[in-house]
Amino acid sequence: MTSAPILDIRDIHKDYGGYHALKGVSLSVRRGEFIALVGPSGCGKTTLLKHIAGFEDASSGSISIDGRDMAGVPAAQRPTSMVFQKLALFPHMTVARNIGFPLKLRKAAPTEIDARVKEMITLMELKPVYLERFPGALSGGEQQRVALARSMISSPKLLLLDEPLSALDVKLKKVLQSELKRLHRSVGVTFVHVTHDLEEAMMLADRICVMRSGEILQLGEPTDIYYRPAHPFVAGFIGETNLFPVTVLSRGKQTVSYRADGFSDDSQTLPTGLVSDAVTRGAALMNVRPELIRRVGPREKVDCSVKATVTEIFVRGGTVQYRAQTPDGRDLAVEIRGTSELPMQVGESVRLGWDKKDIWVLPPGEA
Amino acid sequence: MDQLVNRSWRDPELLLKALPSVLLQTLGFAAPLAMTFILTFQRTRDFQLRWTWDLATWADVFSKPHYWTILGHTLFMAAACVAACILLAFPIAYGLATRFRTLESEIKILITFAFITDATLKTFGWVLFLDKKGAANYLLERLGFPPEAVSFLFTDWATLLGMIYNLLPFAIFTLYISISNIDRNLILAAYDAGAGKWRAHWEVTLPLCKPGIWAGSVLIFLLGVGVFLEPKVLGGGTSPMSAELIRQTFETRVNWPLGAALTLVLMVVSVFIVLLFTRVLNMKRGGFGA
Repeated sequence: MTSAPILDIRDIHKDYGGYHALKGVSLSVRRGEFIALVGPSGCGKTTLLKHIAGFEDASSGSISIDGRDMAGVPAAQRPTSMVFQKLALFPHMTVARNIGFPLKLRKAAPTEIDARVKEMITLMELKPVYLERFPGALSGGEQQRVALARSMISSPKLLLLDEPLSALDVKLKKVLQSELKRLHRSVGVTFVHVTHDLEEAMMLADRICVMRSGEILQLGEPTDIYYRPAHPFVAGFIGETNLFPVTVLSRGKQTVSYRADGFSDDSQTLPTGLVSDAVTRGAALMNVRPELIRRVGPREKVDCSVKATVTEIFVRGGTVQYRAQTPDGRDLAVEIRGTSELPMQVGESVRLGWDKKDIWVLPPGEA
Repeated sequence: MDQLVNRSWRDPELLLKALPSVLLQTLGFAAPLAMTFILTFQRTRDFQLRWTWDLATWADVFSKPHYWTILGHTLFMAAACVAACILLAFPIAYGLATRFRTLESEIKILITFAFITDATLKTFGWVLFLDKKGAANYLLERLGFPPEAVSFLFTDWATLLGMIYNLLPFAIFTLYISISNIDRNLILAAYDAGAGKWRAHWEVTLPLCKPGIWAGSVLIFLLGVGVFLEPKVLGGGTSPMSAELIRQTFETRVNWPLGAALTLVLMVVSVFIVLLFTRVLNMKRGGFGA
């Protein structure tokens, strides 16, 4: 089952006259995978996508698609297809001509183009009456489907999506997200999806690649990214989190001994499996997700605990988020399943606790 | 919503608000046009206007092929000027909008300066340049060309050159606006779909420039139909165009009714041609659906 990667990016650098947009990015994507590139704006995710599509040439490094080196291959001849952020549907062509355009350029027979266009609109669940309309007369969601149909019609090996859902309202976004997932499963094409929406990435992707300032910080499955972040930035970017500074004293085969700062842990040891391999000795960070922290009684036995005063309550519906401050001035986020009676009030002094199995220790870094 | 729908021309408030604009249009446009029309039914005798109310002038206009030859020549020259201007302006505007982004404002200022310099001055400048003993021939002779290599001054070619030179900026600016309004991603999408440079140009850039090409063409055509300076100065008056004929009729021959009639003919024919092409090219909606 070990086949060559469909996309192999090796040490790509891109220099825009002094601005280093990509600083040695390497990425290998498996055939049929759904991979999400996430990161804040300016992190280089769209730049990387443009390199794959062939709109930009790397300063150094190589990109190969399906085993073929793409150096010097123009966008038009790459087995890739892009769905643009603003869709880039041709306003002067009907929907049918938009979708059929890639096949027309490949000199397909008109009857074949017609048949394939019909196939695509069925796949995208578009009504046939739209075919003779212009894109401007369609709704946002319909335009999205037309853009996807145009990108899929030439059977690309790689479908590149440049935040195509970012301009849509929340409801429509949800619908199209599940549509994308369905499409990916049914056509088996490799998807590279750029987004700044982490929730979207977690929902859709098989693997997530988190980027910042032109570098890949972490590449992994959604659960890895969420529960075992390799970098404080990754921990903080994906939902809110609590990071406690700790000092690792020694690392053994089974356990790691450490000193807690600002919270209490009687044993001061951790199973090695909960500590990132990159952490050896010295300063580190303990990551505890807000939903894994709970209120505990004053004498209740719990692995780790901290005293704090509730400062803020945000009722979100299904969950309620509490902000609490520890005596040494640290702000904590706690998320508890919502109930009609709030278990804590603003100003209340509480004891908060969490289990060791729910933590992850990662090396320190610039968040 | 209801307020807007219920408004009609009978609404006194609306009429009052429209009054200034209606007045201006009437005084500045409709009234002179009506007076021109009325003028065509009068006669001049002994350099004096006589109120006669007859069709003598119109009979004259429709019986002399000379006027119509000049009109045809004028329309042909204007059309040639449109074609040349669009062909020349496209690469300039395209370069300005895509390649020379950094020098864009400097180039635009230069074109604007050339544009606002008085047309009379520029036209006479061309005479000095194209003259038998002018700058062009002097330079060419220096380079080893036979004497008087440039000898098309006082021909239609010189007229056309002057017209193109004076009207080109209209085409550059209208095309520039339409090209720079094209979303760059559309071109990238064409490449991504498998189009080469020329194909993307032909399938995407050009069709999206259609409104700009059209606007520039109409502008240049209507201005080109009305030129009198270029045929007089550069063409040497050897083959006059409609505007010059009208000027002569008013000033030299002092035949105001005839001048008015020729003016109306020129206007009606030009507007008719523009409307005809609007219809044929389906330009009313910008060439493609909303």
